[in-house]
Amino acid sequence: MTRRALRLGAEAVAFLAALLAAPQAEALWRALFPEVARPTYLQDPWLSLLGWHLALSLGAVALAALIGVPAGVLATRAGGRRLRPLLDAVFSLAQSIPPVAAIALALPLLGFGAAPTLLALVLYAALPVLRATVSGLDSVPPGAVEAARGLGLSGWQRLRDVELPLARPVMLAGLRVAVTLSVATTAVGAIAGTRCLGTPIVTGLANANPSYVLQGAIFTAWLALLLDRALGLLAPAAPEGPARP
Amino acid sequence: MIAFEAVSHRYGAVEALREVSLEVPSGALCVLLGESGSGKSTLLRTVNRLVEPSAGRVTLQGRDVAAIDPQALRRGIGYVIQSVGLFPHRSVAENVATVPRLLGWDRARIEARVDALLAMVGLEPRAYRDRPPATLSGGQAQRVGLARALAADPPVLLMDEPFSALDPGTRRELQAALRRIHAETGKTILLVTHDVEEALALASRVAVMAGGRLVAEGVPAEVFGPGAPDVVRRMVRAGALAFHRLAALDAAAAAAPGPAPGAPLLPAGARLSDALLLMLEHGTGCLALEGDPPRHLTVAGLLGHSAP
Repeated sequence: MTRRALRLGAEAVAFLAALLAAPQAEALWRALFPEVARPTYLQDPWLSLLGWHLALSLGAVALAALIGVPAGVLATRAGGRRLRPLLDAVFSLAQSIPPVAAIALALPLLGFGAAPTLLALVLYAALPVLRATVSGLDSVPPGAVEAARGLGLSGWQRLRDVELPLARPVMLAGLRVAVTLSVATTAVGAIAGTRCLGTPIVTGLANANPSYVLQGAIFTAWLALLLDRALGLLAPAAPEGPARP
Repeated sequence: MIAFEAVSHRYGAVEALREVSLEVPSGALCVLLGESGSGKSTLLRTVNRLVEPSAGRVTLQGRDVAAIDPQALRRGIGYVIQSVGLFPHRSVAENVATVPRLLGWDRARIEARVDALLAMVGLEPRAYRDRPPATLSGGQAQRVGLARALAADPPVLLMDEPFSALDPGTRRELQAALRRIHAETGKTILLVTHDVEEALALASRVAVMAGGRLVAEGVPAEVFGPGAPDVVRRMVRAGALAFHRLAALDAAAAAAPGPAPGAPLLPAGARLSDALLLMLEHGTGCLALEGDPPRHLTVAGLLGHSAP
């Protein structure tokens, strides 16, 4: 556990170092793309692009969790069970809209900038959160819930003290999927003028500069992988879960 | 005292309970005996309002349970289920402390109570307090389940097939522990089982259910007497009714005063069924009873006492 954390910390440092070194690595980019006149991306500081990227993608996951977790809880309550197919259909539909299309459709309403990107990301990330919440709550041993009821825990107490803690490992796995999806997809927001790690990609595509595209792609993908494993540390192999020998 | 007054319940088209009326006296260990689908668990669950009857009412010490807030009602009634349902993310002590914590007891009182309860159910507190439930055997887990149900000292304990998932040896140990706890605490216990031997080993009263109705009720020796209803006869192997009935009778009551030198020793608290098996095992018609003053039991005494 601690060794994994240390390795991850070291990799995060390497990531930041690479991010800071990228504008200085003119020789590298020139060697890779000799035909490009100005191969080094210098338009924005990379740290500010990273900051925007993280704020957008994590903000979107937070919003998706604010929608998806209560929806998942509702779908697993006795009174809300009938809503379950409907909720699943709505969230699936939301995710089936490609983020690029969602941004394009939202542009006339929300204008350029972060808002349409945020909307597209929330639509995209809410489904994994909902599904993970539902399957996490479904995986809680029925005996524990029955006992909690019989001992006199109220509905809210059962949820807070028994169901959510036991559903946590599965829910965190879903959150991890949502974060990875969101971080990787945020780059698309650059087409709506959002500044993020996708900005060099879009700029590169528009100006036939594959070197910019590569730089943006490297850092977007690396960030997604890094966060995925960081969340993997938070959702360890269920030390509190049931059935350990 | 628990009283069921013409309690009926329907699950959709299924009539799970049909006008069941039954009184369970305070301090009784009443066993609800019946086959699957007989309605025994449904009846049990009307007491703590996990099931709301569609007609009739259930009273506890004269109070209609429908008038009591369900959460408050349940915190005042112990509840033990077959799957135990320990909270896997909480230690043994935290599981046992569930209801006292809900009731807002202070920490010192809870800790003392948890240790006393673990000792009562036969688990050394220091060894078990901090264990996670996943490390317990089935029998140990159900002992913790029993301690958790007794935590706030409720006058009534509901047990739904509590020992049915355990192997026979463990089941007998837990039954003995329950008998001891019942004798020590004087709780009113309502226990559901489909196991005739378990009913006879535990019950001070037995209520037999079939098809949602109460078909027989009384002290076990009566219910398992010659007038036993067909349902009861069906639940024991053909012809074995008379033997099973011996399990409801105390051997001590059939004994005569005086020593029986050299005779096999029958442990205190044994039933007539145990006595008969011991006689068969040793090929003798006379047993000495453990305890003082010296007493002995003969075949004639056994037959005389078991005659209905």
